[in-house]
Amino acid sequence: MTTGPALHVSHVSKSFPGVRALDDVSMSLAAGSIHALLGENGAGKSTLIKIITGLHQPDHGDVLVNGKSMIFSNPRQSAAAGIGVVHQERNLVPRFSVGENIMLERLGSHALSQINYDAINAEAAKWLKLLDLDVDPRSPVSQLSVAQMQLVEIGKALSLQSRVLLLDEPTASLTLNETRVLFRVLRKLASDGVAISFVSHKLEEVFEICDTVTVLRDGKNACDSQPLKGLDRSDVVQMMIGRAERITKRAPRPKTESQPYLELKNYSSALGHGDISFALRPGEILGLYGLVGAGRSELAKGILGMVKQTGGEVRIVGKTVSINSAADALHTHSIGYVSEDRKQEGLILLHSVLGNAGITVWRKLARSFGFLRDQKIIDHTEPVLRKLEVKTPSLHQTMGNLSGGNQQKVSVAKWIAAGVKLLIIDEPSVGIDIKTKAYLHDLIHELASSGTAILIITSDMPEMVDVADRIIVMADFKIKGEVENDRNYERVSRTIMGLIHDRVAA
Amino acid sequence: MPQSALTRHFNNDWIGPALVSIIAIAVISFLRPSFLTPFNIFVLLSAIAVNMLVALGQLVIIGIGQMNLALGSIGGLVAISFAAMMELWGFPSLLAVVCGLAIGTLAGMASGFVIARTGISAFIITLAGLQIFKGINLGITKAQPFYGVPQTVRDFGNTSMLGPIPWLIFPTLIISLAVWYLFARLRIGRQILAIGGNRNAAELSGINVTSTVIWAHGISGLLAAAAGMMLVARLQLGHPTIGEDWLISSFAAPVIGGAVLAGGQVSIPGTFFGVVIIAIITQALVVFAIDPFVVQIVLGGLILWAVGLNRLREVRVAKALGTAK
Repeated sequence: MTTGPALHVSHVSKSFPGVRALDDVSMSLAAGSIHALLGENGAGKSTLIKIITGLHQPDHGDVLVNGKSMIFSNPRQSAAAGIGVVHQERNLVPRFSVGENIMLERLGSHALSQINYDAINAEAAKWLKLLDLDVDPRSPVSQLSVAQMQLVEIGKALSLQSRVLLLDEPTASLTLNETRVLFRVLRKLASDGVAISFVSHKLEEVFEICDTVTVLRDGKNACDSQPLKGLDRSDVVQMMIGRAERITKRAPRPKTESQPYLELKNYSSALGHGDISFALRPGEILGLYGLVGAGRSELAKGILGMVKQTGGEVRIVGKTVSINSAADALHTHSIGYVSEDRKQEGLILLHSVLGNAGITVWRKLARSFGFLRDQKIIDHTEPVLRKLEVKTPSLHQTMGNLSGGNQQKVSVAKWIAAGVKLLIIDEPSVGIDIKTKAYLHDLIHELASSGTAILIITSDMPEMVDVADRIIVMADFKIKGEVENDRNYERVSRTIMGLIHDRVAA
Repeated sequence: MPQSALTRHFNNDWIGPALVSIIAIAVISFLRPSFLTPFNIFVLLSAIAVNMLVALGQLVIIGIGQMNLALGSIGGLVAISFAAMMELWGFPSLLAVVCGLAIGTLAGMASGFVIARTGISAFIITLAGLQIFKGINLGITKAQPFYGVPQTVRDFGNTSMLGPIPWLIFPTLIISLAVWYLFARLRIGRQILAIGGNRNAAELSGINVTSTVIWAHGISGLLAAAAGMMLVARLQLGHPTIGEDWLISSFAAPVIGGAVLAGGQVSIPGTFFGVVIIAIITQALVVFAIDPFVVQIVLGGLILWAVGLNRLREVRVAKALGTAK
């Protein structure tokens, strides 16, 4: 074994159409060390992991394993070089046994080999023992707890002779106790000489277990493989959020004191939301900030009546209501929702621009027996599409052929055409360019000025500070606190990060 | 990307199947001039008239992104009910038609209701429906046909309206136009395609998925009912096996005609030519006196061809939309 880093990422750059995801990024993982990889959403962490695992190839720069430059064109090659990954989402076959899952790629030498279950279970048991995981390799994965599944995946990665282990948010769905078990295993692996990279949003965990840190911001190194010793939490947060140079100046918006359009009182849901209370007035832009998995989009779906409400009250213009479907939300309460997932939930890419923009007004425009005239839909949607400067050769163009920015404009346009009084916008700028993003922010302000109540969900801190009037901070399906947005980026982002990361604070 | 008028036309859903139909007719009638005798045309059009309704019944469900395996058994149940109402209870034929359409619609809506409410896949629910409706059919008929079909109904199924054009074409024409109109101009049609195109997006856009699914299955049942009763007229009896052989062609015709099996895209003219192609192939095998077992093989091959076309189309769509998997 060499004395150099087990894995060295050297000056790697990667561009995607319209966006530079990684710009001259470096990171070194030493054998026996647990290395934190930090950054806000969109900072480039997942792109970096995808390059290390061979899902993407770098435009420039090198990935060196034990000092040898490697080019991985697919994940198998990366695994063969001793790099194991445990992704954020589980990748196990639930109905298969633990042993089969660990040995999935090695069940037999050829397609017709008879599977030797005894050998598989014996091999799997070896890895389970190493991880102190007391489960029978013959039991199906579906019977395990989430934490046990996590450990099985680590076992699977290690069983491929991995000397480098990348863990993407391994504790996101673990309880405190399960996290402790995981950490004990990680320390043991590190002391056996495995190089571990640990991605997490939970800073206290990072300080507990990691010894070195790499921080990414906007696709660049905010720091490259520094020892964590000597840094404190605020230094790391400072590196993650950087300065407020991206904030544009806006005139302060007048405060409204009118009756709230939407009010939640001690709302709780079947998904685990608890004790959620806030009010949103017409003309106000309320931000909902939190990390991935904080329960924000789920809360939006709850307001739309798509998640079962288990307690508390939802009030529209002061009256307690029970909304039971998105159809009800739109047609009875005039609430619209721009999904964060345009392709899966927002648009029908197969259909035309007109078919997408008009979908919310069909019910309103249909006459007796449901007769619907294209011209009438065009009359209703075309002015909005023109106002939003949607660039399309014709209204009959297939939605999927438009650029991401124009698709997003149509997803917003359909709700403007419907004249909603409350618009929930989930991650407004996913996959769109900076110009359209600025345009959308202006549009959101304009909509609010005309009296629409807006609830905006975003993980993009500068966007949040630019757009929202007030910011509610969520973590673990609960409200952690509220921040009045004075557009002082430094102060606001610090306060928000403080609310998220400090267990006791606020 | 600039497109010439010609390529644009060739990208149309129905141009391909239409060309295949014309070429097939030309080749067969060249080899066997008897293929285009008025009698043969009459037989061909009668088959097309019924099969078009069957295909449309499946098309509505394909549009919403599901499948209806119970289509034939609903058609069969309505067929024998139609004959029984006239033979046993002496219903006037028009009243029996109305009752038959109602039975088909209700049977379809029942499947739709269970699918929408339970969230179990349409495949399973309609598979169960297939057995249930078939069981009711056999319970009523004891597997014996009803022969007491009134003369007016028999005439409707077996006389020509004009030259070689059977009367049966008439209701099919009206219904096809109605289905086209449904998808092009009615809210319910748009909602069906929106749900088939992207169920999540449709639901989040305020479309009532439950009621739309029930509607779609109701319409599908109505179309199956119409097809079943037209077969009674054509066969001049209410046979308990009516509908048993609909399944394969009901999928093949819409898919040949440009429908995407995953939902969201259908073509009525395309489906028509899909029906024509299947009718010509079946008929050609008769004209050339080919063994009936070959018909089965050819139909199977046809399904593979249609599904292959569908896959190509999905890949093309995925590429165009940048969602390739």
